[in-house]
Amino acid sequence: MMMNRRKFLHIGFLGSLIFLTHGSDLFSVTTPKQTLALLQEDLFGYTKELNVDTYKYMNIVLHHSKISNSDKEFIKNGIKWLNEESYTMFQSTYTKLSSLQRQEVLKTISHTSWGERFIYDNLAYIMEAVFSDPIYGVSYNKGSQWLDFQSGLPRPTKAFL
Amino acid sequence: MIYDVCIIGSGAGGSPIAYELSNAGYNVVVLEKGKYYKEEDFSKDELAVSRRDRFSPDLKDEKHIINDTDSNGAITRYDGHEYSWSFWNGSMVGGSSNLMSGYFHRLKPNDFKLRSVYGKIEGANIVDWPISYSDLEPYYEKVERVIGVSGSIKKHLFLEPRSTPEFPYKKLQENGVTQWFDKACENLEYEYFATPRAVLSKNSLDRNACSYSNFCGSYGCATGAKGSARSALLQKCNAKIIPEAFVYKLTSDKKNVKEALYYDAKNVSHSIKATFFVLSAQAIESSRLLLNSKNTYFPNGLANTNQQVGKNLIFSAGGSGEGTFNFKNLSKQEQSQLMQTGLFFNRSLQNDYEFKKNNKIYKGGTTDFLFEHQNIISRVLSEVYNDDGEIIWGDALKQKIHNTLTTSRKLSFEVFNDWLPTDKCFVSVDPIEKDKYGVNVGVINLYGHPHDLMVAEHLAQTALNVLKEMKAENIHYSISSNPPPNLVAGGCRFGEDPKQSVLDKNCKAHDLNNLYVSDASFMPSGGSVPYTWTIYANAFRVADTLLSVLKSRV
Repeated sequence: MMMNRRKFLHIGFLGSLIFLTHGSDLFSVTTPKQTLALLQEDLFGYTKELNVDTYKYMNIVLHHSKISNSDKEFIKNGIKWLNEESYTMFQSTYTKLSSLQRQEVLKTISHTSWGERFIYDNLAYIMEAVFSDPIYGVSYNKGSQWLDFQSGLPRPTKAFL
Repeated sequence: MIYDVCIIGSGAGGSPIAYELSNAGYNVVVLEKGKYYKEEDFSKDELAVSRRDRFSPDLKDEKHIINDTDSNGAITRYDGHEYSWSFWNGSMVGGSSNLMSGYFHRLKPNDFKLRSVYGKIEGANIVDWPISYSDLEPYYEKVERVIGVSGSIKKHLFLEPRSTPEFPYKKLQENGVTQWFDKACENLEYEYFATPRAVLSKNSLDRNACSYSNFCGSYGCATGAKGSARSALLQKCNAKIIPEAFVYKLTSDKKNVKEALYYDAKNVSHSIKATFFVLSAQAIESSRLLLNSKNTYFPNGLANTNQQVGKNLIFSAGGSGEGTFNFKNLSKQEQSQLMQTGLFFNRSLQNDYEFKKNNKIYKGGTTDFLFEHQNIISRVLSEVYNDDGEIIWGDALKQKIHNTLTTSRKLSFEVFNDWLPTDKCFVSVDPIEKDKYGVNVGVINLYGHPHDLMVAEHLAQTALNVLKEMKAENIHYSISSNPPPNLVAGGCRFGEDPKQSVLDKNCKAHDLNNLYVSDASFMPSGGSVPYTWTIYANAFRVADTLLSVLKSRV
């Protein structure tokens, strides 16, 4: 089956390989998709109960012209550094750690400037997904119901992102 | 074809001229860099409007260079793209007036004679305006009628003289918490009043009344109630509007502008010829265009014989603060009032528009109070740090978000005072950096005078007293010299002396017979209020001047 260009690009970023090193040694290879999905669940797992498709949102946002290349690059680097920190602390990639170990890694990186920003950026993307208008096909107002929040009217009739 | 008038920029500075002259039968064309959005295009899509800056150019395509001078005189250069530092605000037909909150205040009579009344301040280029409040008052009144200003006059010490007793539109509906505010001010013996708003409280002017959508500032208005230059003026006249037209150069001979050259969306160059040209591209961009329009007659830039173009750039000085009201301290009725959404807060203080300190009289300013913006994503994200300043996530974050957003609400205040004009704050053009059109980008040279901070601090303390009296908690504020990109003026100040100003008192360039500048560039000082009402009023005044000139040519 022929894959359209957009779909290819989506897989291109989140499915691309990240080479993980410790010192000068290559210890593993992963993809942004694997790590990002678990990381975002660790940061705000409530999205599952709210029926929010954060993976779909990341696919949208990471291919939008309004997200700068440096922001995209930072996500990719952050995933690499998160895994490298996981290896330093527990000799394994983030996705293979226990829940408690992953929390330890997050606490450690949260005290670094890159780690704090990486966590903040991910939380920002998660919250954008949770409170996005249903027109984006990612969330269906359960976030607004959770906080008893009334969205502004009129709602968008066309997705901007 | 030769138009009677070509206007560059379609915001509050250009649109009154398009409206008046085209309705008087003249052939007017408006060139606007942004797209043409109308009411039906506006929604409350926070992702698009606030998170992804739908109405601002991408900084990778169009940026500024910022040279920031600190209090020690050290200059730090910032690339606007690299540092995500944007000075764009509403790139579309109608300009930033589409996105304003419409907090409308007039300047006071003393704002027109700042130097005479309050004296010289070391390091600041303070001058009196070449016109007085009484010259502009009829136009302030005209804006109330034509743009539509809602409010309720309440006498106070600094209420400016008015030719009419009341606003043409009753004040907008208010949230019940305003009663707490009023009581607190009365206890403190502070004079307060309902903030006038450029938002229609009833259907009128062939526009709909406010729908109390809960999302006003930063968003385009879907009902047309907000008095944007587009809805109130451009959609009510026959001026030809060309959107997505970026004017990159004005050509001239020794005494007259000949044509405006612009690129369309496909980067194809076009020429517009006209008898008169009106520049109103926003203060920074108007200076940039003049500086980029060098020619044989004007080697330093158009209308820049005395090298005044770009000088004395100003912003609104001040800062902001907030306090929180928590359910635990409130009755059921008060909780219900607090969480009432949609209705406006709309309260202002001007009792310190002039104040005395150490036996000296100082020019003060205005403080507007408003609820924290309803944007849910930004409110949620303000909860990701705990009281110790550490970032949190997981269940701790979930509980904090839910608790804060369902059992408390923040009341904010914004301080507006004069940003004193100085030699260190000006617009220039970068000799190397270019935008997507291949045109040299503007350089914003920033400097905030220490006097501005002193005044803002005084005003903030008054605001804090009100929040304390209201029993708000977690009160904090920030005063700084950070320039608000939506409150920028100067660069082509008007005046009697061509050596000290770019424009004459009618906003015509001293150097040229047919070039007017009608955005906030003309302002030698900004008063201590948001500028939009004054920009509108002055543009109507310039329109009258141009009408007289055009009529006299027949």
